[in-house]
Amino acid sequence: MNEERMFDHRPDPELGAALRRALDPPRNDQGAFVGRVMARYDEALTAATVPTWEVLAGWARRGIAAALVAAVVGGFLLGRALQTPEPETFDTAMAPTSGPGVAALVTATDPPDASIVFASLVEQR
Amino acid sequence: MPPDTPFQPPQGAARIAGEADLVARTLAGERAAFGELVERYAPQARRVARAVLGDPDEADDAAQDGFLSALVKLGQYDARRPFGPWLMRIVANAATDRRRRRQVRRVEPLDPGLVGGGPRPDSEAVRSELGERLRAALAELPPRRRTAVVLFDVEGYSHAEIAGMLGIPEGTVRSEVFHARRRLRALLADWKGA
Repeated sequence: MNEERMFDHRPDPELGAALRRALDPPRNDQGAFVGRVMARYDEALTAATVPTWEVLAGWARRGIAAALVAAVVGGFLLGRALQTPEPETFDTAMAPTSGPGVAALVTATDPPDASIVFASLVEQR
Repeated sequence: MPPDTPFQPPQGAARIAGEADLVARTLAGERAAFGELVERYAPQARRVARAVLGDPDEADDAAQDGFLSALVKLGQYDARRPFGPWLMRIVANAATDRRRRRQVRRVEPLDPGLVGGGPRPDSEAVRSELGERLRAALAELPPRRRTAVVLFDVEGYSHAEIAGMLGIPEGTVRSEVFHARRRLRALLADWKGA
């Protein structure tokens, strides 16, 4: 057989037949084999649909780990919420500690003192 | 089914449709439909498993595992494609898994003279000397190589189908078949010349 024929894209009938004879199971036990497979038909389907204890245990392990993580994160967030003071509103934060306040500044008929406006601009920078 | 008259399924669309029907009936819970699939593909599955494992009893265990695994995974089968390559991939994987487990158990290499599975009174009478020599020669080949040549020359699958079954490139399948043929053809030529 030359190299070209060995690279032939078609099956080699002679070699195929010899290999088939070498690998074929005994003629008389084909039915026995089929029966053997079919005997485990129900068992295979049951095993596939009912989770085993190992699978359930795997789920439980993951569930416990997730619950622990959730508890730690929840505790951290709760603790932070209790320690942090209530945030002030914008108006409260901006209200001057003395003087007429922001509302008086907006509603005043007289223009504000230029030095105050200038000072506030410098502070913002 | 006699080994010399293997199951020859209808070709092309008719074959795929017929198998898809059997699969659909199996999925609907019809046990007999699965039985028909097993009957159809049992000889092929047993040969492929034996090509991987050598030992006929272990090969039958692997073929059985393959059929039952296919039953469980049947919902994943794409009914537009041929059933044979899909099933043979599962069977070849089941046989390969068994071979790996066996290699873990046995450190020493397999004796090619033993891979016939030892004495089997029911089958000894039909085993020819050529068959024994071919089995021994197959056992000396790397597992992937012997599986590829059996799938190609015995079962008639294409290089592309075998590539899909074994999870290797098509070019590698061609190379494996080439090297296996070179060894096995030499043995056949010696046998005929003797």
